[in-house]
Parts: sequence; C-alpha cells; structure tokens
Amino acid sequence: MRFLFTRVGACQWRRKILPRLIGAILLQLFASARLHSQTADADKPVPILSGNAGFLTSVTAGQTLLDTQFNPVLLVPLGDRWLMESRGEFEGEFQRAPSGSFGGPVNKHLDYLQADYLANSYVTITAGRFLTPFGVFNERLYPEWIRALQPDPLILPLGTASSDGAMLRGGFPLNTRANLNYAAYVSATSIGVNGVESERQVGGRAGVFFPGPRLEVGASWQKLLQDDRKNAFGFHLAWQPRAVPLSVHSEFARANAGSGYWIEGAYRLSQVSTWNRVMRRTEVVGRMQQFFNGAIGFDEAASLGLPTANTREADFGVNYFVQDGLKVVGSYGRQLSSSGNFNQWTVGIVYRLLVPLGKGEAR
Amino acid sequence: MRRAFVLSFALGIAIAASASSLFAGSSNRKDEGTSTTVVSNADADIKRALGEQRFRANCGRCHAAPQKFPPRAMSTVLRHMRVRATITDEDMRLVLFYMTQ
Repeated sequence: MRFLFTRVGACQWRRKILPRLIGAILLQLFASARLHSQTADADKPVPILSGNAGFLTSVTAGQTLLDTQFNPVLLVPLGDRWLMESRGEFEGEFQRAPSGSFGGPVNKHLDYLQADYLANSYVTITAGRFLTPFGVFNERLYPEWIRALQPDPLILPLGTASSDGAMLRGGFPLNTRANLNYAAYVSATSIGVNGVESERQVGGRAGVFFPGPRLEVGASWQKLLQDDRKNAFGFHLAWQPRAVPLSVHSEFARANAGSGYWIEGAYRLSQVSTWNRVMRRTEVVGRMQQFFNGAIGFDEAASLGLPTANTREADFGVNYFVQDGLKVVGSYGRQLSSSGNFNQWTVGIVYRLLVPLGKGEAR
Repeated sequence: MRRAFVLSFALGIAIAASASSLFAGSSNRKDEGTSTTVVSNADADIKRALGEQRFRANCGRCHAAPQKFPPRAMSTVLRHMRVRATITDEDMRLVLFYMTQ
C-alpha cells in the first residue's frame, strides 16, 4: 500500500493499474447487465401508448364550454430497471363567440418526461420533468378516466406545477400492518426550454398506508428557493372501507397563494339489488371544498388558476362505466363566493386507451 | 495530483456502481429463480388471491380494475404504477401475477 504513495508507485498506479482496474469493472458491469437482460420473454415489458381522451360540455354561470382533451402517455421500458415515461396534454377549450359559432384555443403541455431507474426494491431514481408530488390528486387522481368528478379541486394549483430536476421515491413495508411511501425532489428554476418551465424548489411527501383498514394518510412539504422563499405544506387521506364500495379522498393544502381543503366520497352502487346490472356500473359522487385567499393579488391568483375570493363549493355527480375504460360522466356544482355565486353543470364521455407497441403476448 | 484525484474519484463511482449492480443482480437472480419454478395450482391460487388483495388495497385506492391486458403490456403498466403509486416491489409482483394469470 505504501508503494502507491511513492512518486513512482503513484505514476504506475495512474498509468497502468487504474485503467486496467476500471476496464475490469466496466467489463463486469457489462456482463452483469447482459445477465439481467436474460429474463424470461413472458415477463419482458414492451413499450406502450396509453392515456385518455375525453369530450366534456360544461355550463358555468350560463357560459357554455366545450372541452376536448387528449392526454397520450408513452411508456418505454429499457432493460430490467429503466422506464422512460411521458405524458402530453392537448386541450381544446371552445366557447360560443358573439357570432354564434364555437371557437377557442388549443393548449399544449408536456406534463412529464422522465427517466426512472429502479435502483432496488425500495428506491426509484427519477430525473427529468415530473409531476410534483405535493398531495396525491396531481399524481394519482388527475387523469380524466380516474377522477370521480371532472372539475378540478380549487386547491389543485397549490404546489403542483411540474418540476424539472431529480427525485427519489419508493415504498416499503414498515411491518405487516403498515407500508410507508415517500418521495423527495429537487427542481431547477428553468432549463431554458419554452413550455417546460418550473420553479426552483425542494420538497417531499410521505404517506403511511394501512392495508387492514385500507387507509392512507400522508403529508407533503415544499420550499421555494427563489423569490419569497415561502414554504407550503399539505395533508392527504384516502380510505376504502372493506364493508362498502366507498372511496373517500381528501386533501388540505396551505401555501403563500392560499389555502383550502376538499373531501370527496364516491360510492359504487354494486350492492343495490334492483337493476343490479345497471347499478353495479354506476357510481355516485359528492365533494365539498373550501378555498381561502392567500397573500397574492387578484391578477396573480387568476393567472395561477386559483379563485380570486374566498370560495366554497359543493359538487354532486354520477358516473356510468359503460365498459372497461369508457365512462359517461355528469355532475352539478354550486360555487359560493364574495365575487358571485353560480352553478356549474358538466356532462361528457371519457375513454382510456392502451396500445402495446410490440408483441404484447409472451412468445 | 489532480488527475490522480479525478481517476480515483471515477474508480470510486465505478466500484459503487458495480457493487450496486451485483447487489441488484443477486436479488434479480433470486426473482428469476422464483418465476421459473414450476408453480403448483395451489400456490398459483394463493398468489392470485394475494395479488387480488394487493390490487384492491393499492390500485383500488384510485381506480377500478381494468381488463386483463397481454402479459408483456401489463408488465410495463405495473412498472409505471410502481413508480407512480410508490407501491412496494412485492406488491407489484403479486399484482402482476394476478393481472396476468
């Protein structure tokens, strides 16, 4: 070992031994990767084009809006441990012009474009543009085919703009009665590409899921590392009791831009014996929510998509699952605020697609 | 001196990556062994029941059960869901078994 610290030894180490050692390790890594790739064909994942398409008509305070959405999701698995995934959003919002015809903008967004490395059973490393794990609605419930009510919760814009950076996430059992899931991220201020801006921030989310009562509770935190360097935090809850086909979700969030909560219950009528073939495909939903203004002005709140005054809202809806991936939705909501009260009606149809881009069946 | 430091640093990363790969490889080989074992009907039933249980507990928190897609497509979906829903590795394997068998 002392040989390495002599001048001649260090020179030999640098010129001869070190390159050979690195070469041997790289060779071992390559061989190891080849070994891992020799999994059974039956388990070998193929690229997939998934996503959803939806057509919704809503009448908000007497104003009709035709909303057409297409959200393609591309999943490309590489080897045993990598996944490239991306979701785009194309949304046409058409309103009736004074001339009588409908017209409006078609918005395009890149929601996420990320590379995931499944490091081991408990850790996934993600880099790229990703959905910010603040609360659970943004990551888990946002797609039209998943959400029980089509209008967004009022607090959705708080802390959920997509991030550009890196993230560690995963889940593991704490014991037989509880699983822990976590996500921690850091985001850069901007990568200089239009349409994929983000803010400079760090944050994380942790949740504990109890499989017995099917209850998950968790908390999120976010620290902005620019401008006013404010903190934001939130709590979430999800509960599916075993006895009844009920699904309860709730979130609370507090940030500089405002605070609020929502609680939603969706009940599948599968236990109703009358017209059971229809009822088991039907879901009734109710949501109550409240939003409180933060320390930002009217214009900034409007630009973020937040209510411009303290607001309360109640929504009720019915979803009918025509077949797997296809559902007809309808809802009514009443919003009460100091800037005016109004009704919101929504009806529409949403479809989830999934197309394997390769041989889906095992060879 | 600086070059030696850079080379040593590179070596350190290579060793760490190699160790991680070997560690991962050992668990992978263990999994491959499990998947290639001839599973008896009783074992398959137990795994399927466990998979359904895990599906209802994890995936059912957000959405209803989809139709059963081809196995290799389902494998990709489950990899995506492992990341998105931060489900455990064991849950992912059991749900994959339930959704494909």
